[in-house]
Parts: sequence; C-alpha cells; structure tokens
Amino acid sequence: MRARYVVLAALLCPWLAARALAVSPPLPPEHLKVEPLPPRSPHWVYVYDEAFDNEIDARVYLIDGDSHRRLGQIGAGFYTSLNVSPDGASTAVATTYFARGSRGARTDVVEFTDNTTLAVTHEILLPAKRAQTGPSLFNLAYSDDGHLLYAAYMTPAASFGVLDPAAGKVLGEIDTAGCVLVIPSGRYRVSSLCESGRLLTVTLDAQGRELARAMSDPFFNADTDPVFVQGIPTKRGYVFLSFLGEVHDIDFSGAQPVFAAPWSLLGGSDQGHWRPGAFQVGAIHKELRRLYVPMHQGGEGTHKDGGTEIWVYDLATHRRLARWPLKGHGLTRVIAVQVSQDPSPILFGATETSQLAVFDALSGQLRHIDKHVGQTPWMLLNP
Amino acid sequence: MRTLDELFERTTRQLAQRTSRRSLLASLGQALTGAALLPLLPFDRSQRAGAAESAPQAAGPQSCQYWKHCAIDGFLCSCCGGSSSSCPPGTTPSPISWVGTCHNPADGRDYMVSYNDCCGKSSCGTCDCTRNEGEKPVYRPSRNNDLNWCMANADVDYHCTVSVILGVAEK
Repeated sequence: MRARYVVLAALLCPWLAARALAVSPPLPPEHLKVEPLPPRSPHWVYVYDEAFDNEIDARVYLIDGDSHRRLGQIGAGFYTSLNVSPDGASTAVATTYFARGSRGARTDVVEFTDNTTLAVTHEILLPAKRAQTGPSLFNLAYSDDGHLLYAAYMTPAASFGVLDPAAGKVLGEIDTAGCVLVIPSGRYRVSSLCESGRLLTVTLDAQGRELARAMSDPFFNADTDPVFVQGIPTKRGYVFLSFLGEVHDIDFSGAQPVFAAPWSLLGGSDQGHWRPGAFQVGAIHKELRRLYVPMHQGGEGTHKDGGTEIWVYDLATHRRLARWPLKGHGLTRVIAVQVSQDPSPILFGATETSQLAVFDALSGQLRHIDKHVGQTPWMLLNP
Repeated sequence: MRTLDELFERTTRQLAQRTSRRSLLASLGQALTGAALLPLLPFDRSQRAGAAESAPQAAGPQSCQYWKHCAIDGFLCSCCGGSSSSCPPGTTPSPISWVGTCHNPADGRDYMVSYNDCCGKSSCGTCDCTRNEGEKPVYRPSRNNDLNWCMANADVDYHCTVSVILGVAEK
C-alpha cells in the first residue's frame, strides 16, 4: 500500500511542479548595460599580468581584496610599464603595439585609463625608445604632484622621456649617462640607478627642462651584492633590498638622496641560507612602517625564485616581527607582494602558479586564495 | 675625401652631444658582443655548439637544466623550431645580447655564453626557462636577462632565446 502512494507521489510531483512554473510570472526583460565600478576601496589591487606565453596581450586586472571579485581589466599590450597617478584617478600604461598584431610597424605609446570607469581617456605617442624590461615602479613614474610623467628609455643607450599627461605631449628627453630607470621625487627630481652603485639625480623645471644633475656616492656594489631595482615606497623615499638581504633605506625628500646605514634582513643563523627573491620583492605599509619580504632558501642565481615564506619587519627597529610560511596553505612560491595602506591592511601575494593570496597584514591570517589570476602576475599596485 | 671627413666629424659630434661617453661605451660594447658572434656562425659556432650538444649530458638543450642555459630567461629556441644556437625559421636574431658564464660538466671548462633573442614573432610559449646564475639587474645591461634584447631589431617582438658559446671564459 505504501509503495503505491510513493509511486503516485513520484508521478504527481513533476506535474505539480510544471503547474507551479506555468502560473509563476515570467522573468522580466533584461537591459544590457555596462557595469559601473563601485567606489574605490583601499583593498583593491591592480594585478599586472605580463601574459608571458603571448606577450603582446599583457593586461592589468582590478581585483577587490574584500569580495575577491575581479572588477575589470585594462589592456596593456607588449612588455608593459605602468603606474597609478598620485591621486589614484588614472592608470598610465606605456606599451608597444605592432601594426599587424605580432609584427609590423612599432608604435610606442602611453595610454591613460580613467580609474572610475576603466575606459582609456587619451594617449601620448612616444619615440620608439621605451625601455622594455621587467616590471618595476620605475619604468614609468609620475612626479609627486602628477604634473609630469617620466618614461624610461633604453635602446640600449639609456635616457628618459618627460611627458605632460594633462596636455598629452612629450616635453623632452634627458640623457642619463648610462644610468637607468626613473625614480621620482618631489617637484621635479628623477633619480636613476647606475652600474657603479650610485644614484644620478636630475632636477627639472615644470616644463621638463634639466636644471641640474648630481651623482651620489655609491650605496651598493653591483659585483658583490646588487640591489633589486624594485624599490619599495616609504613616506620619505624608497627602500631598496639587495640580493643578500641588505636593506637600503633612502630618503628622497631633499634635493639629494640621503642614505641611512644599511641593515640586514638576516639574523646570524639565517645568514647564507635565506634570501629575498621575487619579481616584486617587497611591500611596505607606510604608516605602520612594516616591511613584507618574500624569502626563500637558496644561493647565487636564485634572486627571482620567489618566497616560500613572507617575513615581516619593523622598519623603525629593524626587528623581524613574524615569519609566515606559505606551503601549508597550498601556495606555491610568492613572486610579487603588495600591502594596502589603510589602518586594517591586507597583504596580497601573487605566486609563480598565478595564485593570488590575501592575508590579514597584521596577523598573517590567510583570508582567501584566488587559484588562477592570469598567466604571469608579476607586479601588484595599490589603487 | 674632405666631404667624407666633414660628414664623419659632424656625425661624431652629434653623437657625442646626444650620449655620454659611458653610455656610448656600454652600447658599443653590447653591440660588439652580439655583432661579433654573428659573423662566426657559419664556420665556428655551429660546429662547437653541435659538439657541445652531442656530448653526453643529463639534460639536453631542450631542458632548462642544460648547462649552457645557466643565465637564460625566456623560451628555449630548441623547443620552438631552432636549436640552442640557432633561431627558428622566419625569425631574426637580435644583434645585441646579454652574456653569462656557464660551467660545462662534460669538459670541466667555464664558457662565455651569449643569450641572443630571436625576434619578429610572438612568444614561442613553450619551454619557459628562468635561470639567473651571475644575472644582474638592468643597471648592468650586459648581464641582464629582463630586457627585451629584440629592442634594436627592425621587428622587436620577442619569440625565444638561444645560448651561443662565445669561447672559454678567462679565469
């Protein structure tokens, strides 16, 4: 008897369900639109994907570190340099296009994207000299007030272009005597790293003309312990890390750079075993003065190997505050790090297998892993 | 002849005004490194490279661990239709390059190796290999593997990288 009821119910259920569907109101028509970006959050991050397997199609993903949603994308072309304007309103992308996709006439250009819409607003054509090199904040950099934009050139002779982003034009070119990249400070100084371990600092006027230049004393030795070019912004300048873990804290707030005495990331038992290594080798929370560094065990030639741990330091005391191992979380080596600059900061870590991890930057607690963010996420930028 | 003299003088003066001596020397040095290896290709390099590749090795030229690749960063041309010393068909070698010093376990010698890019097609996309023995940041360009060394080619698109023996490294 019970079996008969079960069979009856099974036969009736689809019929009843179909009746219910028939009487429910139809879905309203949808209207195609373009999704607006939500208001900017300090927990956003711009992820630069070099797209190394098909390098003419680099891109920048905008990701929300709280919702873990991808909010949008900026096209980035070939062997790209990029930076965000000091007010956060624009993203500048210096790139190269070929007339016929992967070949043909070369066009070097800086494209400006409105960060409230992710639409390109305007561009500046560059001479075909743009430095095509690994990502750093110093391939393309704004002056502090956003009035000038500096683009590193390398043909391989080194120089840089001075651009006016508002007027949309190139103002001029400054020879850098073999020193490379554009480290901006104040109004309007540009420093470049030299093979001799010195910094060349060129001072410009508001029209981008050279007023003065000066060469610093050497602060590193390129033979014995080179510095990574991926300097990390602080409140008064930048920190440069060396291959062997020396910390060079440089104050760029005055007319010429001032070098603090270097200190080491490595305590006695770590010496000779652990090293910093990555494509973007450190991040600093400017107010908290905390430094985050991907560290690995390795020797000569491992400076791009990525970190198996994140080590956290207090820049004021030079004390190591924490070691955060990554393997237990299922993360591969971290090759780029960035930290948000708000009072409740989060730390982003991009890995060699394109994972994007989000940590509480104070406790080290893992919040989320995006398992696949593009191909080669080599640099992370704050909004 | 006087016209030629004047032309040379004018060109030299213009060059001197545009570039510093240091950057000029650096550029010339790099250009000469690359330029020096290209004329050698027909009679010398292929033979030596072939001998090196035929020597018994745990890893061959399609392996990232192959000894000549000790400072490479890019796609191995051996996997892309070329070899460790030849560019794939239809591409163009870069005339400038970076160099590394690699130890050949087969004969116990250290060799200077030139890493030239092959240019004019999009990324090969296979056998990506990053090794950085003796590699230096971009302020020492002759030892840097982050730069696109196709930068001085007519077509600067990067395809893959070769590891070409220049000679035994001097101690």
